[in-house]
Amino acid sequence: MTQKLTVLDPTIEAKIENSILSDRPESLDGLTVGLLANGKRNSEELLQYVYEVIKEEYKLNEPIYANKGNASKPCPTDLLEDLADRCDLIITSSGD
Amino acid sequence: MAELSSNSFEFETDSDVIEYFITKGWTDGLPIIPPTIQRVTKFLETVPNISSDVIGHEPVKNREITVEKIAINAVMAGCLPEYFPVILKTVESILEPDFDLHAITSSTMGAGILTVVTGPIASQIKLHGGTSVFGPGHRANATIGRAVRLSVINTTGSNSSQIDKATLGHAGKYTWCITENPNSPWTSLHEDRGFKPTDSTTSVFAGLSSIQVSNHHSQEPEKILRSFRDALFTIGPNQGEIVIILCPEHAAHISNSGWDKTQIKDYLYEISIRSNDDWNQGSYAPSASQGGVANDTKLTNVALGPDAFTIMVAGGNAGAFSSVIPLWGGGSRSKSITKVI
Repeated sequence: MTQKLTVLDPTIEAKIENSILSDRPESLDGLTVGLLANGKRNSEELLQYVYEVIKEEYKLNEPIYANKGNASKPCPTDLLEDLADRCDLIITSSGD
Repeated sequence: MAELSSNSFEFETDSDVIEYFITKGWTDGLPIIPPTIQRVTKFLETVPNISSDVIGHEPVKNREITVEKIAINAVMAGCLPEYFPVILKTVESILEPDFDLHAITSSTMGAGILTVVTGPIASQIKLHGGTSVFGPGHRANATIGRAVRLSVINTTGSNSSQIDKATLGHAGKYTWCITENPNSPWTSLHEDRGFKPTDSTTSVFAGLSSIQVSNHHSQEPEKILRSFRDALFTIGPNQGEIVIILCPEHAAHISNSGWDKTQIKDYLYEISIRSNDDWNQGSYAPSASQGGVANDTKLTNVALGPDAFTIMVAGGNAGAFSSVIPLWGGGSRSKSITKVI
């Protein structure tokens, strides 16, 4: 009988963390939007443009601006928590 | 035998393993050595770590990188077991947050990982720093660099069909590991970085494709180094770090004139400067706010300072060809890392 060759898997799966989607608002009227730029050039301009478009349809509060500074690193936890405390929803973008 | 936690698969032949791994996207496109339990165990026996030890965390893809997975990839690359301590420390280095591995392995800019191993271990494992230093033919160079690349592909998922979005990339993304020429007239890389001569170290750089610089007619340091200006201008202004590989012939001429690495760095910094108008003529504006400004005669250097230049000596004794290796992200956003093996 031929002996089988046993080899090992070279890959690693991402660690899965359980999370749930937040409730979606029925309307944006009266809500505060966070604009989280990713640090890429033009990301802030892109977000501002998106905000202006949404504002034409809804009565939004003044937005809260933030920039995570480095597109290739996760957003710092303290910045995310601060935005979560102060905003009803967050929009993020990747400009370049 | 070490306790291994990876999933395992059974096949009839080596060819079946190779075809399966290629189909799964677990290789660089070339065939691999099947990572059997016996082979992986031999690699693990060369280091004091246990197989489940975590040597680093990739935060964007949220993956914890273990010693066992690096051993599997090192076997696949065709390494000898005695290379494994070098590979493990090199992968540990690229997982340092300052190296920004996710950025350099996903970016359109297309960086490779240049590994430079210096100190006594380089000759012990027969790493090559001489003729055709970046070319084929030397097992330690070829397979250590490949092991680093396969580790990136398989432990972080950065392969060219998924996360790696390099526009061009370059051949150094297959494998890119060297040592310095042992006959360098100056101190070696790790000594320049504050380590003892007797230390063995690995250094990693997020290198873009290199630019070859030729000068066969000069022996004076100034004339040789002025040949680097055009190559340096192609990189762009305000670079935080640039690698310069001097071939032995250029290094000998410069050293025979009594120059050390400090003088080389100072001179390269001094001469690689031009007006913002000139920068704007090409593809680079020194800063976004200055882009397109007419008659901007302010001068901007290629490098942020003389210490932005890392000088090494490598390559064959014949020929006066050196090279400039630009680093990803303006040489500032990914920092080179050196660790003791």
